[in-house]
Amino acid sequence: MRKTGQLSASFRDPGGFLFSDNGILYRQINRAYSKDYARLMDSGLYDKLVKASLLIPHVETDQLPATSDAAFKVIQPERVPFISYPYEWSFSQLKDAALATLSIQKRALKLDMSLKDASAYNIQFVRGKAILIDTLSFEIYKEGQPWVAYKQFCQHFLAPLALMSYRDVRLSQLLRVYIDGVPLDLASELLPVKTKFNFGLLTHIHIHAGAQKRYSDKVVKLQTSGMSKQALTGLIESLENTIKKLTWKPAGTEWGDYYENTNYTDSAFEHKRRLVNEWALEKKPALVWDLGGNTGVFSRETAASGAFTVSFDIDPAAVEQNYRTVKSKKEQNVLPLVLDLTNPSPSLGWDNKERDSFDARGPVDMALALAVIHHLAISNNVPLPQLADFFASHCRRWLVIEFVPKSDSQVQKLLGSREDIFPNYTREGFETAFSSRFILNKTEPVRDSERTLYLMEAR
Amino acid sequence: MHFSPVPYLDPGSGSFIIQILIAVLLGLGVALRASWSKIKTYFGIKPKPEEEDDDSGDA
Repeated sequence: MRKTGQLSASFRDPGGFLFSDNGILYRQINRAYSKDYARLMDSGLYDKLVKASLLIPHVETDQLPATSDAAFKVIQPERVPFISYPYEWSFSQLKDAALATLSIQKRALKLDMSLKDASAYNIQFVRGKAILIDTLSFEIYKEGQPWVAYKQFCQHFLAPLALMSYRDVRLSQLLRVYIDGVPLDLASELLPVKTKFNFGLLTHIHIHAGAQKRYSDKVVKLQTSGMSKQALTGLIESLENTIKKLTWKPAGTEWGDYYENTNYTDSAFEHKRRLVNEWALEKKPALVWDLGGNTGVFSRETAASGAFTVSFDIDPAAVEQNYRTVKSKKEQNVLPLVLDLTNPSPSLGWDNKERDSFDARGPVDMALALAVIHHLAISNNVPLPQLADFFASHCRRWLVIEFVPKSDSQVQKLLGSREDIFPNYTREGFETAFSSRFILNKTEPVRDSERTLYLMEAR
Repeated sequence: MHFSPVPYLDPGSGSFIIQILIAVLLGLGVALRASWSKIKTYFGIKPKPEEEDDDSGDA
């Protein structure tokens, strides 16, 4: 049966919208946007941006439009392997998304176009790079007009980055509360006083917030500014310089020491790696979720088998390090993201349908749950049958899961400060609980450890 | 059919005004920088080569 539908996140822009037909994603361009689209394509801007990996490539198609009365063209953009959101990005991911947006705007201005929006949600990570996925974000630049997306850029990028850099990296989670970016008055209030001595933050956040308050009930005509293109370029460069100087180095985290505080021996670690690699090569999943992926060591084993692997971890420092590895090694099929498995991203926005929940973005061909079960079962008190249900709902087919017994020193640590109320947390209890949802395909004791690695197939 | 030149985003009155003011300031800065490098050149100090713009490569 032919199934079409407009995507629920794509409704604001009168220029067009996304829709899917039989599982293929299309973007309808409306007649109202035809001139801007023609300029994007004819000016060479599209080619330049695609060549620089800053814009998603597309092809024009003969696909019927979803609503024909307003339609001008239908294009088919390259499919993004996994949609992620700014509240799931590490510091450097948000910073790179911000710098990509500004780089696009600078290139657009050179060819007399301008970004009409600067939403962080328009950026996705494709082949390891931050890239604009909204082909309709460009408009023909009119001399004298200020940047219409300036406020949005400051709210979506500059404010959260400044808060993460100067206050606490966990403040990225404000983006989960404020769907249109962090309100500048809130950012101004939360930032330390010393940021008022930083020209960029003083002007683009503190004074900007003050001006918003002062002029909140005044009407300003957009045509009356007379802001020169040079001044506009100066503004973009100022934002760029301000963002480039924002840094974050995880405090109290020894870079690269993640696996040194565990109780693995080298041979146990290598054995686990080899098993994950072998099973991924054997089952050939297209999409893998590594749940509790840490810095992505095991994600890289599934990625090496050709699978696009999303590496989730609760620790922003681990995700940051993982992303830096992706960048330095130019890896194309690993996407590190920040996620708390005990409270995963919900569906958000208008009608709760704009941003998909973690759950709605699955299920995947294969999930990895390595050294994570004890955190969920013991630290978070989730009974084993419910854990089996959780993993079954996210795995279309394969689950690679590690059981860590109570005798393991990591579990002993978790039990050290609390009463052991987990009589069923045994290998037998685990196998019984998971057998109701999975077939235990392979069971391998991890060498030189008390742990067991399983390859399970969803029932 | 309505061909709207009006942006679909609300640029915000305050954001609109403040960016013009900031841009004027930044414009002044650019002018000052240019004069300063002229003065330095006058006294025989070579101006620093401009940083490579990542845009210039394929522009």
